[in-house]
Amino acid sequence: MKLKLRLNGTPHEMDIAALKPDLELRIDGRGHALRETGGTGALRHARIDGEDITYHQARSGNRAFLHLGGRTWIVEFVDPRDAAREKVQGSGDIRAPMPGVVVSVEKQPGDPVTAGDTILTIESMKLQTNLTAERDGVLAEILKSEGDVFEKGAIVARLQEEEDGDA
Amino acid sequence: MGHDTPPFKRILIANRGEIACRVIDTCRRLGVETVAVHHLSERNARFVRLADASAEITGDTPVAAYLDAEQIIETARETGAEAIHPGYGFLSENSGFARAVEAAGLVFIGPAPDTIDLMGDKIRSRRFAEENGVPVAPSVTGGEDIDAFVEKAASIGFPLLIKASAGGGGKGMSIVEGKQDLLTRARTARSEAERYFGDPTIYAERYVERPRHIEVQVLGDGQGKVLHLFERECSVQRRFQKIIEEAPAGHLDPALRDEICAAAVRLSEAVAYRNAGTVEFILAPDGTFYFLETNTRLQVEHPVTEMVTGLDLVALQLDIAAGRGLPLDQPDITLTGHALECRVCAEVPEQDFMPATGRILHLDPPAGDNIRFENGLREGADVTLDFDSMLAKLVVAAPDRPAAIDAAKQALERTVLLGVETNLNYLARILSHPAFRDDPLHTGFVAEHQAALAEPDLSPHVAARVLMAAALTFREFRTLAFDAPEPYASIGGWRN
Repeated sequence: MKLKLRLNGTPHEMDIAALKPDLELRIDGRGHALRETGGTGALRHARIDGEDITYHQARSGNRAFLHLGGRTWIVEFVDPRDAAREKVQGSGDIRAPMPGVVVSVEKQPGDPVTAGDTILTIESMKLQTNLTAERDGVLAEILKSEGDVFEKGAIVARLQEEEDGDA
Repeated sequence: MGHDTPPFKRILIANRGEIACRVIDTCRRLGVETVAVHHLSERNARFVRLADASAEITGDTPVAAYLDAEQIIETARETGAEAIHPGYGFLSENSGFARAVEAAGLVFIGPAPDTIDLMGDKIRSRRFAEENGVPVAPSVTGGEDIDAFVEKAASIGFPLLIKASAGGGGKGMSIVEGKQDLLTRARTARSEAERYFGDPTIYAERYVERPRHIEVQVLGDGQGKVLHLFERECSVQRRFQKIIEEAPAGHLDPALRDEICAAAVRLSEAVAYRNAGTVEFILAPDGTFYFLETNTRLQVEHPVTEMVTGLDLVALQLDIAAGRGLPLDQPDITLTGHALECRVCAEVPEQDFMPATGRILHLDPPAGDNIRFENGLREGADVTLDFDSMLAKLVVAAPDRPAAIDAAKQALERTVLLGVETNLNYLARILSHPAFRDDPLHTGFVAEHQAALAEPDLSPHVAARVLMAAALTFREFRTLAFDAPEPYASIGGWRN
């Protein structure tokens, strides 16, 4: 079974090739060896491809937070069900990039929009941000109104499906 | 300096987070008892635990509680505090609050209320600066009649900087490149001005290209004596908010430094300034400088000044507020070495620095003689949108600027803060950029070097290491790899 992980926005695939004597993994088609060598709490040690690595780790939900090699990393464990859902939704969704509240709604359903047009203005952490259309199209629906609170990733508006071919 | 008794017996700190911790730190050293005020959601916060006592304050939102002047003053009286330290933000530059504190028979650790009125109003303070021989940039004010405002603003020429008259901290600020955007931006600025400062007045001024943000730390005793503690440079900003500050400014001509510091002192003397304060300037590449505003409170970035002068600004604030005057003269204030501050924020630099939320799962701050990690963090605490996104300030000093840059970079790399997305990697990339080291900074630094500051592509080697370490934290992976729950216990408390 392949595990899907995301690092810095890039998807990666990992599967287990052998369990013993050391764990053998394939990541994006390349072979690697992994062994846990100890650690307590957030501090961990592992032997990766013959090299000893020390790092800090913590996990929250489907995200792993790591401090390794002087940098902080966030690795997302991608649930295959989420990935399937995303594919169906298409590119006409305007999603909230962060949690916040709607300050104003600039367009109405049925309005033609050009890529870059502001659809809604939202506010988060005392800063206002404009949510804009990613492509040209016609606004199908606005799902939030002024004063509504939303979570990160919520769909706040939707463009009509792009017409294919010579319609 | 030289006082055997503390300046106050007990003070209330009308703030939270890292700055409350910072004030408590000095108070402890001086033997001053501290009372914190907290919203229920932060009852276990670090500042609450550090204070000698803490009282809960209530409000519709946590921020509203800290803006409730009456409740805070009542709490101060009930807890026997003699004085109130406002920190920065919240009520720190609210003259009504300062007056109410004094009317209640308490000491406001800040300037005279009239000074706050004068300096807090961008228009009046500009006029005052002009009258006292401090240069200001061409500007217009208004907002009530938006069309008239837009017309006048356009006549100054573009680009223009639009901002809230009563504001600060980048809220309601925007650069307008041409007439086509002016009306929309002016409306947004007006609505933000109204929302955050309760005053819709906005103003526009000529935007200086490649400007540097240079500010001067001053101290006044309220009797006409004003000293400066040299300048800070705060040009590295995102969303108009500072993220890296330093003292002294790099690549600054000494004669120009003297001129800017003298202007700050002249302005502050003219109001017989009392308290620690900051006079902010915009410095153009040709060496002309304009007065921007005065912040009549302790500044977020004050620690860099403390690192290079060896002075404790909070202790000096307390001395001044207690009527002990300034125990120093200008020649006593000297500059040694170089200090840098990096603001560690819960945000996603790759997505236009959007605020991030989460929970502090693990914190292992860097430590050392010349390192201060100013924070109000605690493992297990939630990072929410209730307050500002700044988590901590990493302040580092070294004998000179290049050494300070290296030391700050190393300290950033040693900072372990897990559980929320932060700008730690991004800050390290800024410090590694050759332009940060070699060239004069400017407030467009982040935008100019956007591509170079972006997350670099990872080598498959590095990515694989990170992915493997990450995989070990996932139950799904462990089930497949180890086929038994036993290792969870043996590697020490892994759960979830």
